Amino acid sequence: MEEKAVSSVRYEHGGDEFVFVELSEAMTLEAMFKGMAITNKLKEKNLPGIIDVCPGNASYMIRVDPEVLHPNDLIVVLKELEHSVTDYKSLPIASRLVDVPVLFEDPWTHEALMRFRNNHQDPEATDLEYSAKVNGYQTGEELIKAITTYPFLVSMIGFVPGLPFSFQLTSQEKQIEVPKYVRPRTFTPERAFGFGGAFAVIYPVDGAGGYQLYGRAPAPILDVEQELADFKDSMVFPRQGDILRYRNVTREEYDAVREEVKNGTFQYRMKEMSFTPGEVMADPLAFADKVMGRLYND
Amino acid sequence: MIKVRKPGLQTTVQDNGRNGYYELGMPPSGAMDKYSFHSANLLVGNDENAAVLEATYIGPELEFQEDLLIAITGGELQPKINGNPVDLWQAVSVKEGDILTFDFIKQGARIYIAFSGGIEVPEKMGSKSTYTLCGIGGLEGRALKEGDVLHTGEMKISDVKIGASIPEELRPTFSKHNEIRVVMGLCSYRLTEESKERFLSIDWTVTPDANRVGYRFKGEALDFIPREQPFGAGGNPSNVTDLGYPIGSIQVPAGIEPIALLHDAVTGGGYATVATIISSDLNKMGQIKSNEKVRFVSVTLDEAIQARKEVGEKIEKIKEILK
Amino acid sequence: MSIKKEISSPVPGVFYRRPSPEEDLYCNEGDTVKAGDTIGLVEVMKNFYEIKAEDDGVVETFNVKTDELVDAGQAVAILTLK
Repeated sequence: MEEKAVSSVRYEHGGDEFVFVELSEAMTLEAMFKGMAITNKLKEKNLPGIIDVCPGNASYMIRVDPEVLHPNDLIVVLKELEHSVTDYKSLPIASRLVDVPVLFEDPWTHEALMRFRNNHQDPEATDLEYSAKVNGYQTGEELIKAITTYPFLVSMIGFVPGLPFSFQLTSQEKQIEVPKYVRPRTFTPERAFGFGGAFAVIYPVDGAGGYQLYGRAPAPILDVEQELADFKDSMVFPRQGDILRYRNVTREEYDAVREEVKNGTFQYRMKEMSFTPGEVMADPLAFADKVMGRLYND
Repeated sequence: MIKVRKPGLQTTVQDNGRNGYYELGMPPSGAMDKYSFHSANLLVGNDENAAVLEATYIGPELEFQEDLLIAITGGELQPKINGNPVDLWQAVSVKEGDILTFDFIKQGARIYIAFSGGIEVPEKMGSKSTYTLCGIGGLEGRALKEGDVLHTGEMKISDVKIGASIPEELRPTFSKHNEIRVVMGLCSYRLTEESKERFLSIDWTVTPDANRVGYRFKGEALDFIPREQPFGAGGNPSNVTDLGYPIGSIQVPAGIEPIALLHDAVTGGGYATVATIISSDLNKMGQIKSNEKVRFVSVTLDEAIQARKEVGEKIEKIKEILK
Repeated sequence: MSIKKEISSPVPGVFYRRPSPEEDLYCNEGDTVKAGDTIGLVEVMKNFYEIKAEDDGVVETFNVKTDELVDAGQAVAILTLK
């Protein structure tokens, strides 16, 4: 019989209202998909007293009314779910494949990152040059190519409304990893494309931030007025499980998309697709190729 | 109708908060001191979650263009109607043309001004609370400015006598030295034993960087246990793979200065959280000013739930008194 | 006999005697000011609050230096009324 490893999952209290569950200290597809399966099953239970179910990258978090549902009773349920999702690899995920235009080395994030050189590890280089160097690329162009060749899986929404933490579907050796700023910036332009740890993000609104900045998206991911068609049901566009392909666009295309956004006619290029975690985990690169084909060729 | 003659420093419309959207990265917003907030509403016969004004440090100057019952609770900021002092924690009747002003703040940091009927503004995701970062809720998603006009709504559910008040023993007390109860945990395993002990044994000073988003504290540097950082976490020992932040959680970026995340805070990120302020003490936290001292006191989960129940019991007592 | 009056900050925060580091002081000790004149700034919660003289007079002394922390209600300067 195979020996079962002792669970390294940590169940922690965040005061009286939150239960925080860390499935893994490191980012892994396994932790993310397990967390997704557990939180989906928890939502289906509709337990009274649960206020929020927040899946994360390699962890998840539940907010409760502790006078209705004691956090320790919730932990009992969560542990049961942890042991019951052995089949998580075969549970289908209804996903959307989305083409996300990005103008790399744009003037706006360049202005912002130059203002905060003193907060950075390498004040002499741009964020892109620095990140290329620490990931073994000769030039920023090569890093851009690595980012735009394979799509990213949205693993968590948070920080500010709508911000997608996204994790690249590629082999472990090719995963890009960059440090965050030494001291966070007090300003980041809305729609800036950034990278920190193993995650690419788009900042939905102006504000503080500590991720390396490489470019800017012309299309929003948050639309509080819900004027664009993609935002009809929610002011927040991305969802956990979505797959985003960041596409390098020219200034002309950036301006054209901005115009469509302003006219209210912009819609993301998007395909629906169902997949299983097992399929992704078995061969992330083959899965990434399938996604690219489905998004652009079908 | 209520005319805003002067807005104060940072006065916003708040209710019980935009709860249930944390998964989207949406913090709840809502009143920072819920106890004073519920009390203010109960004093004017409103549903306890009706929208009110929350003012920090400096009160607004308001002109009433209708007869109304109002109540002001929270910190000690002496209100005056047409220049005459009126009591805090009391149902006060105002007439058309009356002007409400405030003196300097003596104790506490925030006041709540409830108007019978509540403030009427459009709801966004089930709440009227202002969240300025995204510009939603309240009055156009922003703090009040001079010349704004507020309308009252239909949230009055009972009649309260003019002059009815909340007795002294049910009002909060304030101090420049505060104990704030926390449940240790989350990623506190990342701190050295010595730093965990120091976190709970020194007086932290609230910096001027203290608002609805969070409070930053000055004290001493804390040490994280050195390690080879796990994949995805980022380089600093205070970094973790980006995760969710509970409301009231405390992080210590690079070990330099602890930050307590409050009602308008970010919902997640890549810093290790080491403790969480218990829900009942978030009320107290919202009344602490810059330069004041905070000592974090570790309590158990059951002590935290008990403290929360006691706040609820006090609110029930107030309802009983005002019946 | 001259009457002295404190000018206090209604908010806690960091005190500044200039509108920005590159600009001149709002006023010097010994300067005559009018009611409503700004004599300093207090930064709190990312807001800048202007501290104003409430009466006409001469700024006798500043009790607080630039970059020092002030408490709510703390006197930042003494004004001798005219």
